[in-house]
Formats: sequence, C-alpha cells, structure tokens
Amino acid sequence: MKKYNNIGKKTLISLLFIAWYVTGSMASDDKLIRIKNLSGSWKFSIGEREEWSIPNFDDSGWENILVPSPWEDQGFYGYNGFGFYRKSFTIPNEYKDNNLYLVLGYIDDVDETYLNGKKIGSTGTFPPNYNTAYNAKRIYRIPKDLINYDKPNVIAVKVYDSYQAGGIVNGNVGIYINPNEIPLDASLEGTWKFQIGDDLDRKSLQYDDSKWDKLMVPGKWEDQGYRDYDGYAWYRKSFYYRGSFNDETLVLVLGKIDDVDEVYLNGVKIGMTGDFVDREGQKIPTGDHYRALRGYYFPANLLKKDEINTLSIRVYDSGGVGGIYEGPVGFVTQSHYIEYWRERKRIH
Amino acid sequence: MKKKTIQIVTILSVFILLVIFSSQQALAEDLRKVIFLTGSWKFTIGDDTEWADPDFNDSGWDDIWVPEKWENNGYSDYNGYAWYRKNFTVRDVPEDTPIYLVFGRIDDVDEVYLNGEKIGISGSFPPDYQSAYNKKRKYRIPLNYLNIGGENTLAVRVYDSYLEGGIIYGPVGIYTDEDDNLLDLDLSGKWSFHLGDNKQWKNTSYNDELWRKINVPAEWEFEGYDNYDGYAWYRTTFRLPSDLKNETLYLVLGKIDDYDYVYINGKLIGSVFDLEKDGEFKRKGYEYNARRAYEIPENVLNPNGENVIAVRVYDGQIRGGIYEGPIGLMTESNYRLYRRKHYESQSFWDFILEEFILD
Repeated sequence: MKKYNNIGKKTLISLLFIAWYVTGSMASDDKLIRIKNLSGSWKFSIGEREEWSIPNFDDSGWENILVPSPWEDQGFYGYNGFGFYRKSFTIPNEYKDNNLYLVLGYIDDVDETYLNGKKIGSTGTFPPNYNTAYNAKRIYRIPKDLINYDKPNVIAVKVYDSYQAGGIVNGNVGIYINPNEIPLDASLEGTWKFQIGDDLDRKSLQYDDSKWDKLMVPGKWEDQGYRDYDGYAWYRKSFYYRGSFNDETLVLVLGKIDDVDEVYLNGVKIGMTGDFVDREGQKIPTGDHYRALRGYYFPANLLKKDEINTLSIRVYDSGGVGGIYEGPVGFVTQSHYIEYWRERKRIH
Repeated sequence: MKKKTIQIVTILSVFILLVIFSSQQALAEDLRKVIFLTGSWKFTIGDDTEWADPDFNDSGWDDIWVPEKWENNGYSDYNGYAWYRKNFTVRDVPEDTPIYLVFGRIDDVDEVYLNGEKIGISGSFPPDYQSAYNKKRKYRIPLNYLNIGGENTLAVRVYDSYLEGGIIYGPVGIYTDEDDNLLDLDLSGKWSFHLGDNKQWKNTSYNDELWRKINVPAEWEFEGYDNYDGYAWYRTTFRLPSDLKNETLYLVLGKIDDYDYVYINGKLIGSVFDLEKDGEFKRKGYEYNARRAYEIPENVLNPNGENVIAVRVYDGQIRGGIYEGPIGLMTESNYRLYRRKHYESQSFWDFILEEFILD
C-alpha cells in the first residue's frame, strides 16, 4: 500500500475500487492451471539494453536472483531504476493445442515482457510518463507461434522501479493453461490501436488510425498509460482475412469490457452490450455490464476475403477499471462455440 | 418514542401489504389455459434460421427446463443467441375465441415460430438491439398455422445481452383471453394497411382495394414492415349486428404503438391524446401501453349499411401498429367490465411498481 497518496480524499471510491479490483483479478486467475513452475533462480542485471531481450544474448555473467522476491532482498538494497530478468524454460509438445499464459504475479512498478525476443505484454508506463502498476497482476497470453516446443524458450522482463521494493516481487510465477477456454479459431489478442474520446467516424474501414496509441488487448487501460481515465475510447484492429471460414456464422469473442461497448466490423455494427446514452441524452449508470462475457454473432460473409478488415470498438467506462480488460479476444466459428458451451455444461 | 416506532412499523406494514397486494393484482391475468407448455424443451446456443423448420432434427440438442434462466441449466455466463424447441400435440382448441401463446418473461429478445411460421417477436435483435425483458409475451396464434389433431412444433429464437437469459418466467402455454369474450363484435383479423399519411384515407368513399392486408392485432414489423417508423393507416369495414343497433357502443382497439387517431365513417372519434386529457392515461412516453377504447358518438354509425374504421397511427421507434387486442365493439355494460378490470387496477401502486421496481 505504499503508494496510496490520495486515500482519504476519495476513500469510499478507492475502497470500492480496490474491492472490485481484487475480486476481478481473482476471478480471472482461478480458471488457470500451472503447468510449469518458474519461481526460483533467474538471471538478473540492473540497467537496460535493447539486446538483453534477444533470446541468444549471453547472460552467463549475470547475477542469480530469486523470483519472486524484491531485489532489495537479493543484494540490491536501495536500488531504484531499471533491471532486467531472464529465464530459459522448455514446454513439452503435448501442450501444442493449448493457449499458454505467462503469469509473473506482481511487479513493482512497471514491466515490459518478451518471449523469444518478441514483446508479449507490458503493464504500467516507463519514464518519462511514468505510471506505476505495482498492484496489477501480470498475466500475459503467449502467442502460439512464438513457442519452441520441447526446445529452450527465453523470457526477458524489463522492469522499472521508482522507489522502495522493486522487481518481480510476489506471485505464483509460471506457465499456465486455461483448461476451460473458448477455442478461438483466430486470436485477435495483442496490439490494438487505441484513442480516447468519441467520434463515430472511427467505425469506418477507411478511418486513419496511424497516429493512434497502441494498447495490449486484453488489458485494462489503467495499466497502459491511462491510469485515471474514465469516459469514451475507441479500439481498432486491422487484420488480413484469407477466407478460411467459408459461409459459417462466426462469433467475435471480446472477453469482458468495462463498461459498455458497441462493435463495428468494416463499419457495420455487429454487436453491443449496454447503452451509451439514455433517451434524454444523459449518460446512464452502467450496472453489471462489465461482468458480461461478450460473444457477438455475425455472418462470415461480412469479412472481406483476401483484404484488410477492421474491427472498431467503441467503449464507455463510467469509472474504475476501463477497456477490454479480460480475454479471450478473437473469432470462433458458431459450431466450435456451441461445442465449447456444451462441453462446459457437461463439466459443471 | 415507542408509540412512534409502532406507528412507523404499522405504516411500513401497510405499505408492504399494499405493494404485495397490488403487485398480485398487476400480475393477475384473465387468461385461461388451453395447452400446458412448461417442462422439458430442446435447447441449443447459437443461431440458425433452419432451426425454425419443424422438420429439423433437434435430438442432439440439450434438454432444458422451461421456464428457467439458462444460467441455471449449465450455461452460466452465456450471453448471445439460443434456440428453444418443443413438440406438442393439439387435440382441440376453442373455435370461436382467439388463442394466444403466452410466455411470462423472455430475456431479452425473442422471435417465435409455430410449425415454421413466424407468429410473434418482442424487442429487437442486434445490431439494432432493444430488450423486451420486462414485457409479457402474448402472441395470437392463427388457427390455420396450427395442426389440430396432430403434432406441432414451436421454435423460439432468443437473444440475451447480459446477465440472466432465456425463457425465464411462466406462465408458458396456449391460452384464451377472457377480454375477447367481452367483445360484442370481434373485429380482429385482416385489415387493409398502407404506409404514409394522407387525410383522404379516413373517408368512407376512399377505395383501399389495392392496400395490403395485415393481421390486427400484430406489430407491423412482423407483418413485413421491418424497422418502419412513421405514419401508417389501417382500414376495415363492418356491418352492425341488429342487436347492437340501439346500444351505446365503444370501439376497443387494444394497444397501439405509439399514437393513434381513430375515424369511423370519416369522423374522428378519439385519440390516445384524448385519453391523456381525460385523465384515464396520464403517463407521457408510455402511450404504447394505453388501452384504447373510444365511445362512438350518436349518428356516426350507419345502422343498415357498411361502416368504415380508419386508424391513423404514428410510430416513433422500434415496433409499431395495433399490436395487442382485444379489437372490436363493446356495449356499455361490457365496456364497464373491461374498464374496471384494466383501468381501475392501474393504481398508484402499479405505477410505483412499474416505474421503480419492474423497470
């Protein structure tokens, strides 16, 4: 609790926020099963260099450090600033069909995480626009094509600590699977374009989002440079479609969004949860929408074959956590979606 | 101090009793069950128009209890489309009175098919999503869609936006409505219909032969006018039965979404705005929920020849039209019964319930 400066100012709101936050992150955690424990000895160096994220960088001269643990307890007492963690591990081929998650627990304050040289997640903001995310649990989905099964893989974590305890400080660090996950036929998780404010022109395919910010999806925007932002924001994601879905009905799964959303595919509205304004044009209190799992049905022929397609998502957050905060995010065919829900019903 | 507490407790008890009493009154219906449809239905998530086909083989689908939210049937956290199907046998139905398919509550949107024919829709599916979660479903069943003496198939397409979903509350079944028995002349059925607005259309002499025929009562959206908002006119003709010739009569037009101007033989006899003025219906914005009943002034009706009813309707948004019965003429005594049943039970407590609790 070292950085709650404004407690007392808005105590009630903060407490509500914390209560929400804790339950929120627990909910997403207890679905996961750890298949590889990565707590223990990691390689560590203070400072930061671009090549330290490259998998074949020689870290044999680095210090050994216990993860998780504040680096202050591991011989770096009083150190604030950048540090780099590296760890090599293997994943058996039997997990080829599973989506894997890297859980790093709590990192104090900011991190940027790489697997085999590719960035897979980032939480908080590094200086000069420093923003801590010390109380955000790091759960990063690992894109399947980045993993070398039965061969070494290298995690590299760039950390920035502002003061007091720093590093990968706490949590059940490891590689996880979600045994009960919606089987996406095409994942849309990763970097999206992001812009706060509201403008319905942003729904169109032609809209120029090249100057927009980039954001990891799923992930709260509070952890990604928009710490105190509430209100409207838009997400956009462009992707190339090769025509693999034929004429099936598809479901766009968007995980969970805080609070309400409206989704356009190539400018055509395909789904929404909640209302942006009431009849008098006033913003409405948004209730329980943030808890709803989004699955929007649409015909596959809305996708343009052999062309760039664009999803545009209009979001309104009334307070606290905002954005597409929990996955999975991607396309699944209706038949796979039905299979998934029937299987889930059988298990429960 | 003690006295005051007792007073408060008494007032609170009275308040609670009144709320309970009036809520029961509000939910009480004049429906009589013809066929019982609660129990085990077939169910799947997803969406496919082929599932409306009575010949579709649903044996691979789940069994689900109706009515109950699907979250309690193994589909917790599911939001989106799902379909329900049920086969049932009909031995006989009352021939002279309309029958209705009734669902207590469906969350949020539904579209119902009987033997492959669409018989009703409530709310609006995405992308122009509009919930109807707190509306009781009551769909007129056209007798020619029903296979009397044999097997029938109901297919219900449901969309749930968030939280609980599905056919949530009963009653679930086929019913007759006692209100229909209060009609001295039933005028439901095929009426002539035209989109747009033209003052000539009220006139007896106007020829509406080329107009489309649609069912009354029914939302016009589901008679083939998807998403039409604006003006439209309804027309029908009738002859006065001899036993009604010397009676004071009321034209009852069920419920209309949103505004109506009603003409008989070219003369304006009423509008929802008159109901508002008379204090029978005070709630602006809820015109679609007002029961239309207009006294027919003397010398308007033609006792021996044809009479023309013309209804000019304006719909502001979503569903439109003369969407709920009863439709027809009532004598003074039947009108009083109808009025007592509906208007006078619209008490302050119903208002509180609807405004603050049910919404």
